[in-house]
Amino acid sequence: MIAGITTSMIRTDVVIIGGGATGCGIARDLALRGIAHYLVEKDDFAAGATGACHGLLHSGGRYVVTDPVAAKECIEENMILRTIGKKCVEITGGLFVRLPGDSKRFRDRFLKSCEEVGIPTEVLSPTRALDLVPGLNPVLEEAIKVPDCSIDPFRLCMLNAYTSRQKGGGILTHHKVIEIVKERGRCVGVKAQDQFTKQIKEIRARVIINATGAWGKKVAALSGSDVPMTLSKGSLVITNHRLTNMVINRLRPPSDGDIIVPNEAVCLAGTTSIPVDDPDAIEVKSLEVDIVMGEAERMIPTFRTTRMIRAYTGVRPLLQADGGDSRAISRGFRIIDHANGMFSILGGKLTTYRLMAEKMVDTIMLEFGLETPCQTAEKPLDGQDELSGYPLSKRLKDISGVICECELVSRDEVERVINRIGTKYIGDIQHRTRLGMGPCQGGFCTYRALGIMHDMGRVTSEESMRVLREFLERRFKGIRPALWGDQLREEQLVESIYLGILSMGKDA
Amino acid sequence: MKFEHCIRCTICVENCPVFRVNSAFPGPKQSGPDAQRFRLDGEKSVDQWVQLCSQCKRCEIACPYGVDPAEIILKAQIKYAGEHLRGPANYLFANNYYLGALGSLASPIANRIAATNFAKRTFNLLGISTYMPFPRFNLMSMNKGRRKVGKGVRKVVFFYGCFLNFNRPDVGRTIRELLVSLGLEVVLPHQVCCGLPALGNGDIELARRFAAKNAAILAEYINKGYDVIYGCTSCGLTLAHDYPGILNVAGGKKVAENSYNVSEYILKLIDEGAINPTFGPVDMRVAYHIPCHLRAIGIGYPAARLFAKIPELSFDVLDDHCCGLSGSYGFKKKNQATALAIGNQAAALIKESGAQVLAADCGACRMQLAHLAGISALDPSEIMMASLRKGASTA
Amino acid sequence: MSVIDYDAVVIGGGMSGLMAGIQLLEQGHTVAVVSRGDPAVCLSTGCIDVCGTVMDPLAGVDALPEGHPYHLTGKEKIRAALDKFSDIMTDVRLPYAGRAEENRAIITPLGTTKLTCLVPRTMETAPRKPEEYIHVVSFKGLKDFYPSYITARRKNTGFSLYDAGVTTTMGIAARFEDRQFLSEFITWLKGLEIPDGKLAFPAVMGLEHPLSIMQEIQTQVERWGFEIPTLPPSLPGIRLFKGLKRVFQGKGGDVYWGSPIASVERSGKHIEAVTIETKGRSTRVNGRAFILATGSFVSGGLFAQRGEIQETVFGLSVASPGPRDDWFNRDFFTPGHAIERAGIHVGRDFRPLEGTLENLFVCGSILSGSEVMKYGCGHGLALATGLAAAESCAEVL
Repeated sequence: MIAGITTSMIRTDVVIIGGGATGCGIARDLALRGIAHYLVEKDDFAAGATGACHGLLHSGGRYVVTDPVAAKECIEENMILRTIGKKCVEITGGLFVRLPGDSKRFRDRFLKSCEEVGIPTEVLSPTRALDLVPGLNPVLEEAIKVPDCSIDPFRLCMLNAYTSRQKGGGILTHHKVIEIVKERGRCVGVKAQDQFTKQIKEIRARVIINATGAWGKKVAALSGSDVPMTLSKGSLVITNHRLTNMVINRLRPPSDGDIIVPNEAVCLAGTTSIPVDDPDAIEVKSLEVDIVMGEAERMIPTFRTTRMIRAYTGVRPLLQADGGDSRAISRGFRIIDHANGMFSILGGKLTTYRLMAEKMVDTIMLEFGLETPCQTAEKPLDGQDELSGYPLSKRLKDISGVICECELVSRDEVERVINRIGTKYIGDIQHRTRLGMGPCQGGFCTYRALGIMHDMGRVTSEESMRVLREFLERRFKGIRPALWGDQLREEQLVESIYLGILSMGKDA
Repeated sequence: MKFEHCIRCTICVENCPVFRVNSAFPGPKQSGPDAQRFRLDGEKSVDQWVQLCSQCKRCEIACPYGVDPAEIILKAQIKYAGEHLRGPANYLFANNYYLGALGSLASPIANRIAATNFAKRTFNLLGISTYMPFPRFNLMSMNKGRRKVGKGVRKVVFFYGCFLNFNRPDVGRTIRELLVSLGLEVVLPHQVCCGLPALGNGDIELARRFAAKNAAILAEYINKGYDVIYGCTSCGLTLAHDYPGILNVAGGKKVAENSYNVSEYILKLIDEGAINPTFGPVDMRVAYHIPCHLRAIGIGYPAARLFAKIPELSFDVLDDHCCGLSGSYGFKKKNQATALAIGNQAAALIKESGAQVLAADCGACRMQLAHLAGISALDPSEIMMASLRKGASTA
Repeated sequence: MSVIDYDAVVIGGGMSGLMAGIQLLEQGHTVAVVSRGDPAVCLSTGCIDVCGTVMDPLAGVDALPEGHPYHLTGKEKIRAALDKFSDIMTDVRLPYAGRAEENRAIITPLGTTKLTCLVPRTMETAPRKPEEYIHVVSFKGLKDFYPSYITARRKNTGFSLYDAGVTTTMGIAARFEDRQFLSEFITWLKGLEIPDGKLAFPAVMGLEHPLSIMQEIQTQVERWGFEIPTLPPSLPGIRLFKGLKRVFQGKGGDVYWGSPIASVERSGKHIEAVTIETKGRSTRVNGRAFILATGSFVSGGLFAQRGEIQETVFGLSVASPGPRDDWFNRDFFTPGHAIERAGIHVGRDFRPLEGTLENLFVCGSILSGSEVMKYGCGHGLALATGLAAAESCAEVL
């Protein structure tokens, strides 16, 4: 087989382009409604905004004043997701913290809007708030408790894709759509290139769904269509450990650096909002890191000196508006029918992915003249049994056989993932197990995971060197903005391993 | 947050004696800073394996950046013990002081019974290991006999600790004799257990009670111009570190600031010109084993510096291995294999050194290594006393 | 507060600090090494990298940029330091092989090769030719070493796995110190049917006696064998550190381990003492001269705040490569991140150039311009600058 030549033709009913929460949600919904489908994603799951967000399962509090419709959707979906996804949603609760100087009028509107929309709230005194979250800034005036949760977006996508696979859906990660095939002006399929082998697959379908988030415009253009969207970059930082066990929001009109979310054994803090043009050319700037940490410090003072292990950035795909602060644009979503066999689904947020998917699939059902109802809200996500659960402390019961010691990932887990998805990408293992997502950011376990792949005969030496180099470069991009203090020391150690002991810089 | 400094370098793991020999113990890095990210307030502890840490503190001393895994682990051990049922061995060792007092009082019978097979089987049933003969008790404990001996410009109170008190008062009396012969007034205060066995066996409240009592007594002496000398380096670490630290008792800081290792104190007096002893020759080849807790105090090895002044004494400083006993740790049957594996490594080096005798400032180290290396063990004070006697007779 | 006096106080017990201390002891001075913890050498391959850019390390030294500390020591000093090092390590039964004039390639746990200069003799027989057959003997479950990396990258390589009953580098090394274990292992090894060639082991072949263990294995199975360095916990690194420390202590040096420095006592440009936070009561260590050998960022000699880089003991000014955004290249593998040049500027006498302290000497990876990763010069630099700094220091004492 020569790279670049189409190998085989796959035929299905629906092709979904994009493996974020929306795409995976659509795949699951189609699977449960018995529609044949393929999902094509150029990277791994959640490579766009899904994997670069706060990991916050909104109660809706953040939108309740400015966008009550979105807020209502949030609280409803929050209640659904925490039930169907017990192993990817940690029920942490959240606080909206009012600091000296924050508008009381806003606070009143907040409470009123929450009541109208149906978001349960509880007003807490500073003492009570500090009881719940001892690290809060002691000068806080009050805190309002809401049912925010923390969600693992990788797990979410993975579990949605699980159902799809179970029911015969085709999941093609690491396949980039390079062409949308048209016949007589209609979109009839896609050509997708395997990013590892460079081979091309052609998939023919009745309907194509563009669920590529920030890449929406680029993908739509492949079929000669356009979508009205604006892109806005948001950067976040990751702390070494949990500074809070509840989501902390700032009780003020949405602004930079307002949110701190506990996620697994770390905290995510952010975010910023900077307009960008190209979703493929984004990076975290030092200034953004300083802004985020500065704001976070106001809510939790130890942010001033706490250790950051990484910073990341993602691009928000927003429905176009005429200028203005992109935060003010509705986070609501739209389905566009390009009237040529392709649909685009744009906007939205992680919290409402299921609802977006439901609406998209309802539209497809109409297209196909079918009436099967949606079951995604009722059925728990499949594949959760083998995942470690919450609270985190339970995972300390038996830590034998771990190969990622920071995040307690065992060799068995890693082998399972390798066997199940046959991957050569360390990133794939990372997303599904959290290997390498702790303080040392894969310093030791990267070598071990790849070694296991070697042991299992999954990689040749050329492949593994390439994979290792790419992974370390990618990893570095996220660490570079956080390199000072202890994380800089960490990096010097990791360099001494890969560039020193393993001599990767110069193979003599 | 000290544990934030951890960059997972594994230097602590390299130094952990338990990790090396017991695969069930994940080592100080995993038990300390790694696991700490997963421990949540208000959730029940499930990390039973933290009990395997012997609290030798080698990880803490080795860490290049002050992470102190041992302290993180100690807190996890205390939390776990507080939430789960302790075994009989833990209970007995926490109350070591009372057992010692009883054993000493009834020593002629107690020693005979402890040596019988019936007793050994009972010990095993209770979870106490019997690879070593049970330490013999001595009727003439330190707290009997004269309270104040000697006269001098410098006055010290001697915190002798449970082992010297109930098991080896002869060594305790040699230390006292040493200090007196150097021209010090030595007082034996009323004292109870330093509290370390209770702390290490899941009863922090008992440890605090002991510590509070001792601190009150010792602080009073300190106020009257006395310095505190400790006879066992584990007691010493507890006084210097835990009294103001995790036990946080009134007077703890004062006690910590005024407690001295015997050799350290003698060197101090020599340096200050207060005493000028004549060290006579002692023709001996000594393997000087450094107790882990002495290393942890950070004052270096003062006994070695004194040994260097003794003519004809040749000695090797062996500070790379733990003896394995770690106080009551090795006496618990579940840790027996671990304690033996660790101790045998240290014993091998002692035998390799060709020394006739081993020295160590800690009674537990002496017991363990004498048994495993098959040579006799002395407290450094005993060697120094011999040297001073020689020095006096030739003067 | 306790007070102790020494002629020279070395701050930092790593390669350069211990080397400096040993040199000063040999010249008849009293020396204390004060160290917060164990040094970065414990994490290394245990080999002495001198200059890894070309096959002749000393020629490579000539080609190094102007600011590199090797230009302050000169090549003769490098040679002298390596010779001295070889001598003293032989005394503690941890001999090294190699010459200052020639680098050699060793196999890494990734199956790549790495240039180094002196190697512990347990690594001496590593093959020079890629065609030589080697048989990797590793241990079941050892998670820090995968023979398949090496067999995938290198032709003519086979492997076997032994069940040691333990799966960590430290655990296996401790087992090898047991005669029973060693003899069972040798019996198993003899029973393997493998082609002619050398045996390669991950570097876990003992803690205190690796050479005699390797020699016994080689004698009994009648083949050459060599160790391959592993990721930390690294036995060769630990052996090197403990060996050098034993030399220092054996020559009468005192060590004060595990306490951070609380303060520095000085009068004008003269340092009188450092105070260390020993438990209970701090200890003032008086000295007539001081040597700063606290290492780079990993060990804590330098600390990078968000904006500036600090030297953590004396607050010496640190030559910094610009603002934070400039510290690292955009790519991980682009050689020579600017941050590696950060450190202390010294003169030919190894005193800090800023001239604020007159009885202080600086050596090791804390020196500016070291660029240890880029030039592969870590331990060689430490030994040479440690020796040079000690000699300058001795002139003051």
